Amino acid sequence: MIRIVGVRNLKPLSPSAESLSHQFTQRCSVSGTAKGKGKAKAGQPLKRSKITTKKGAAEEPPAKGGGPRKTELDQMIDNCLNASAPVRFLKPKGRAREAEREKMGLMSEARRKEIESLKKQQSENDSPTIIGTEGLDLIKLGVVDADAIPKYKLTVEDGRRLAKEYSRVLMRKHRARQAAESTLLRLKKEAIEALPDNLKAAALVPDQTPFPANRFMATLTPPIPGYIDKITEAAKKSAVKEKLR
Amino acid sequence: MQRLCAKLARSLVPARGFCTSNSDKIVASVLFERLPVVIPKIDPVIYAFQEFSFRWGQQFRREYPDQFLKKSDTRFKLQMPSTIVARHMFCRGTGSYQIDYVPAPRITEADKTDDKRSLQRALDRRLYLLLYGTTYGDPSGEPVWHFPEKAYESEETLRKCAETALESVIGDLSHTYFVGNAPMGHMQLPVCKRFFFKSQVIAANSFKVGKCKDFAWVTKDELLERFPEQAAEFLKKMIIS
Repeated sequence: MIRIVGVRNLKPLSPSAESLSHQFTQRCSVSGTAKGKGKAKAGQPLKRSKITTKKGAAEEPPAKGGGPRKTELDQMIDNCLNASAPVRFLKPKGRAREAEREKMGLMSEARRKEIESLKKQQSENDSPTIIGTEGLDLIKLGVVDADAIPKYKLTVEDGRRLAKEYSRVLMRKHRARQAAESTLLRLKKEAIEALPDNLKAAALVPDQTPFPANRFMATLTPPIPGYIDKITEAAKKSAVKEKLR
Repeated sequence: MQRLCAKLARSLVPARGFCTSNSDKIVASVLFERLPVVIPKIDPVIYAFQEFSFRWGQQFRREYPDQFLKKSDTRFKLQMPSTIVARHMFCRGTGSYQIDYVPAPRITEADKTDDKRSLQRALDRRLYLLLYGTTYGDPSGEPVWHFPEKAYESEETLRKCAETALESVIGDLSHTYFVGNAPMGHMQLPVCKRFFFKSQVIAANSFKVGKCKDFAWVTKDELLERFPEQAAEFLKKMIIS
């Protein structure tokens, strides 16, 4: 199917000098007129900005006699910036390429580090991982029984098995909760039905009063008796000190 | 002919139900509960999966040097390295202050001594108030375990009757919250009809419970042991946990 386009709408294919200069001169954003003289000439290549590497300047500090030793802080910052992950994320192509290189006897630095960290991980497998702040993790606080946690290896198969069990346990709990809540509602409706007329009307009025603001939610650990007094006392003392200044 | 008979039958039978319950005494009972103070124990299977997904993700995260991660700890020395110490930071004006604290244990003294009169027991479960004394449901007059209750006389609503019942037991209602105007369940007994109202403890550690020989704050399992079978079956459905 050939599309027939109106001849009038066709623009000339070869740009003229005037149209080039029109494209390359800066236009004032308000009036649309040219900003100053048009410095770009037609037919000449454009000037592009070049990033020049100052090789001379970089070589200077070491030449001054060893250079200043890096401070501890600088060393730590370098270590943080150059930190690597125990397992590198590589796509299947990348992994295949690495395997081929290993067959040929070549091994990259990153791959060497990865193997070392995997060996370290296997030796540390026995101790349970602490998730979160050291003193406040769930095992230490007794929220989970460390003995009852099923053993697993860090593989895809074990991950899938754990995921299925996790889903099963949660769904069972969810269904039990849903059933219990439906029973609650049913019992409530039956109770309302069993009331005599005058009391039923009052029971059906929804209670719009908000629940009290000091109704606390369950927390990880119970409140420490006398702690809030200690905090307010310390805050008062510090406020007094500031006033004395 | 059949339609006429049906109409006659309908006019003879009272419109409301088939047992005359109008003469039954109405009793309002209060299910006074203390909500859990700490989160319940987590299933080990759930924790295992969460630990797995954490460790799986950690493999791909940068390992920063320990010197950097423990920089904040080196500024303040730990006073009791052998016990768990956490820090509370609070800000007042320009400064920020830190106070070391040891988290309170989830199993309290009351749990160890099994003190049923204490509200500090079984912090991860709900506790319900039970009184030991005479009750409307048992005409023999023998003391049994029952909920705080009062017979309905002429109050405006049954919830007000329940509030009066609880007030007569604990003194004042400043630390209670009644949930809704409607009852949460009812039991048909030979001598009366008992309606249950839910009420919760708000910001209180103990109550002075009177008007009974004995009282106890019990969990759901302990509560079901103290009632006869039929009542226990009903309460098992009415109380979730």
